[in-house]
Amino acid sequence: MTRVLIAEDDPNIVEALSFVLSGDGFEVIAALDGEEAMRCLRSAPPDLMILDLMLPKRNGFEVLKLVKTDSVLRSLPVIVLTAKGQPQDRRLAEQIGVEGFMTKPFSNTEVVEAVRRLGRR
Amino acid sequence: MNRMPLIGPKIRDRRRALGITQAALSARLGISASYLNLIEAGKRNIGGSLLKRIAEALGLAIDELDGAAERRLLADLGELASEPLLVALRLDSDAAADLAGRHPGWARALVALHRAWLERGHAVSALTDRLHQDPFLADTVHDLLTRATAIRSSAEILESAGGVVPDPHRRFVSIVGSESRRLADVAQALAGFFASARAGTRPGSPADEVEDFLFDRGNHFPALEQAAEAIRVEPPRPGASRLEQARRAVEAALPEGPLAQQVQASPLLTSDAARRRARRALESYLAAAVLMPYEPFLAAARRLRYDVDTLGRQFEASVEQVCHRLVTLRRPGAEGVAFGLMRVDGAGFTSKRFPLPRLPLPRHGGACPLWAVYQALQSPGTIVRQLAEFPDGARFLFVARALDKRAAAFPMPRRLVSVMLACDALLADQTVYGDGLDLASTAPAAPVGANCRVCVRADCAYRQEDAVIGS
Repeated sequence: MTRVLIAEDDPNIVEALSFVLSGDGFEVIAALDGEEAMRCLRSAPPDLMILDLMLPKRNGFEVLKLVKTDSVLRSLPVIVLTAKGQPQDRRLAEQIGVEGFMTKPFSNTEVVEAVRRLGRR
Repeated sequence: MNRMPLIGPKIRDRRRALGITQAALSARLGISASYLNLIEAGKRNIGGSLLKRIAEALGLAIDELDGAAERRLLADLGELASEPLLVALRLDSDAAADLAGRHPGWARALVALHRAWLERGHAVSALTDRLHQDPFLADTVHDLLTRATAIRSSAEILESAGGVVPDPHRRFVSIVGSESRRLADVAQALAGFFASARAGTRPGSPADEVEDFLFDRGNHFPALEQAAEAIRVEPPRPGASRLEQARRAVEAALPEGPLAQQVQASPLLTSDAARRRARRALESYLAAAVLMPYEPFLAAARRLRYDVDTLGRQFEASVEQVCHRLVTLRRPGAEGVAFGLMRVDGAGFTSKRFPLPRLPLPRHGGACPLWAVYQALQSPGTIVRQLAEFPDGARFLFVARALDKRAAAFPMPRRLVSVMLACDALLADQTVYGDGLDLASTAPAAPVGANCRVCVRADCAYRQEDAVIGS
């Protein structure tokens, strides 16, 4: 089963996304801040990560950079979520390296489709 | 021609207006009446304590007597006349002296209006900048969008749950669903508004327009890059710099087509002066592209991790030329690290700015006094690195160096310009200048702002002036 890591600090969003993705057959784990996300990535690398750019403790850009510069984690598909939706955030994320980009508020079907598409191994 | 105010007649006029005799005034001043007479006739110079006593005795400010006030008024009128808005009127300075001399009241009114207009303009710019940069607004918008996301996702789940909810209540599930979609649209529109809000800018100088033109094109001109590939530079000749030779090669090849097209077609250049200036900027661009061809330069930059000095030696270009070229490495699909650039002179005037999307470089007036570009002026020739953090959490690596420009001649003063490259802190480890610095988001960094007018850091010891809007 494909494992999806959701790095997002709002618990309601985590709950809704987990519900929808596990309903679609994915295994879901959650990290509520940047440091927890980094721990999860190191100890039990997932098959796909949904990453919010505004995370406490270590911001999303840093987590993204950690993934994209790590020889093992580099191939992990990352969908970046942002509530700001500003083009410069998108550009910076693209410079670091990202597979998908989604602005909040998103629809659940959008997320599921993106995960289905990128999570295929 | 400067009109020197005549102190003598002023003293006499004022004395008479107050109904004081020469005898009375001279007695009060402790000088003889005949000496006072000579003063009033303009036959004696006075200064220092006597001037002060006369001013006091006549109830005048010193600078009203000695003409300092008039000189200031003339200077203020000069500044007013040099506003880009008024340049087309060709106001002449003799007429200004006339106006200040004959109708000082009206002259002062003009100056007061000018000042008020400038303040208004600053307030508007500060408001706009604040919309973009205020962390409180950004946080609030973020919060709004997060709430909307949670509501929308939950509502969609409930809606698709179908028969779980009893009939009369099902209607309300669909209300929540549709309202949450509308809320989501409103929230996104608001976020978009804040991201794109621009104040109506007043007409800029040709320098401003050329800056806008270059920024609008992402500071990269594929047509010119292509033209550069066709131009060959002669082998180095003594007495001519490589850049001069590149320029000559550019002129000889006469790439009229590409250059002229770029300039004519742009709606951002509204005057001949602006178009000429833009043309010169593009000629420099082309010469740099000939000197440092795109692909070899990009490859070398990446390999050398953007070490400006080594790149300069390898391509026989100056530090400043290399910095400019680095900013233009924006070919889609073959980009270097995104750099911004700022150049200031010894008096803090910004003579060049290429901003980054997330890094505001102030157009008028100075930037935050903490920025490395100013610090570098204190140690000319040395590279000053700085990890700078803005109030909204954005972090940048600043690398600045003050360079000697050729001075006019002895004993003219030393001429320094400070050139600063800036890149997002996240990309700094791709550069040699990031080495040895702790670039993690939790590491200490210099707490900077864009400039004092818009900065929310209330306790900053370097604050130059109060923020325009209360925080």
